[in-house]
Amino acid sequence: MDERTETLGPRPGAGNGEPIITFRGVKKAFGPKVVYEDCTLDIYRGETITIIGGSGTGKSVLLKMLIKLLSTDAGSIKAFGTEVTTLDERGILPLRKRIGMLFQGAALFDSLTVAQNIKYGLREHHWGTEAQMDARVAEVLEMVGLPNTQQLKPAQLSGGMRKRAGLARAIAIQPEVILYDEPTTGLDPINVRRINGLILNLQARLGVTSIVVTHDMDSAFTVSDRFAMLHERRIAFVGTKEETLACDDRYIREFIAGGRGTLDEDVE
Amino acid sequence: MRSPITDSLGHVGGVALLTWRTLLAFFRPPWEFRPLIYQLDHQALGSWSITMLTAIFSGMVIALQFATGLEPYGGSMYTGKLVALATIRELGPVLTALLVGGRVAAGFASELGSMAVTEQIDAIRALGADPIKKLVAPRVLACIIGLPLLTMLADIIGCLGGMVVTVAEVGITPRFFYQQVLDTILPVDLWHGLGKSVFFGFFMGIIGCYVGMHTTGGTEGVGQSTTRAVVTSAVTILVSDYLLTQLFLKLYG
Repeated sequence: MDERTETLGPRPGAGNGEPIITFRGVKKAFGPKVVYEDCTLDIYRGETITIIGGSGTGKSVLLKMLIKLLSTDAGSIKAFGTEVTTLDERGILPLRKRIGMLFQGAALFDSLTVAQNIKYGLREHHWGTEAQMDARVAEVLEMVGLPNTQQLKPAQLSGGMRKRAGLARAIAIQPEVILYDEPTTGLDPINVRRINGLILNLQARLGVTSIVVTHDMDSAFTVSDRFAMLHERRIAFVGTKEETLACDDRYIREFIAGGRGTLDEDVE
Repeated sequence: MRSPITDSLGHVGGVALLTWRTLLAFFRPPWEFRPLIYQLDHQALGSWSITMLTAIFSGMVIALQFATGLEPYGGSMYTGKLVALATIRELGPVLTALLVGGRVAAGFASELGSMAVTEQIDAIRALGADPIKKLVAPRVLACIIGLPLLTMLADIIGCLGGMVVTVAEVGITPRFFYQQVLDTILPVDLWHGLGKSVFFGFFMGIIGCYVGMHTTGGTEGVGQSTTRAVVTSAVTILVSDYLLTQLFLKLYG
């Protein structure tokens, strides 16, 4: 599969041909466990790219390294032309305003209401007056289909609603890039469809760039322009939806077919 | 190569780094007072009942020991002096710190630990905020302010408990006991006790927060962190008590 390692250009109509996010030779280990050895990937403005790979291979680590929630051991990560790896906790703040993240379990603050959760980021980024923040909260909750839930606590929300509230919090500060960490995991089919619709809708309405990490291949094929396959501690394949489906690498075919529940005889 | 020694050294380094960042956060605006008031209310005011309970019984038992122990030597008249000194210099600050420290460190470790394993601390950072400023600084400051206040309460209640037992056992009047306390206790004794409680407050706060923020391994990890925070806080308070007592004796006599 190594000879397939390639970084393809932007999807048709994805806008600017220059990548806005680049990973070059990134290395990361947790003690003796090496997660990335030589990770290289380009991400283009306006596209939705899905990182696929087995459980525990470090897909979420890639997202967290991008906004420096985790540090890298070696290599370069650039976002909007800025080298992320050398920034300190204060230096990364302007980038965190441009890159929002939806965490796997939504990571809503339990002690705060939905509105207070969304205002948390707005306040940090000096959004405006209390009235302007209230208006923004109402606007983003409307966008994710959770109107009039401002005063609810996270414990009063269902799993799907929590994810959507988490998404509302992530998009409130109008990021240019949204990172989705397993956005549909653990949700029922109706909520999966709803989240997929939101990802597509946000891209269409706001033109954001989306990086999705998921196991859910159906969801991945619904929302993605390109796929990046994480295998053996590096990005082993990058391709469009069609290229991914046409790929004859055994591991990728097995992963995609297994994930979509359509494992063929010839794969075996 | 990891060993218990390198692990322990790593934690000491981690606590030192967190201490430095917390001190910086104390002085960096904007200062938000609401989280500090909330923590003071929950941690300090919330601990007054166990503080009083501990203090009254420790004062009573120490009075009982001195009254009966000194009787063969004809020294039971001095029980009041000894009770006051022991309570204000040692029992008040140390027992309060151990009790409140267990409660507070466990609370911080489980609360921040739960936030860590559900990625809420990552979310704070991702939203552009500093978790040390938001979570650690108000908790540690509340402990530094709250524990000396609780220690003062423990000193008073401990002496009152001692007085009740001394009056009953030795047969002196409450006024005589009170006069003995006033004659014995000097400002330096108060500084010894309250000075130590400031350090104890800092240790329990920073240890609870450090252990909580470094929690991994889901709900099981939260349980382990809570236990670790209580044990580490208690051991640190006892060990530092000796060192701080040595220091204060050298400084103030």
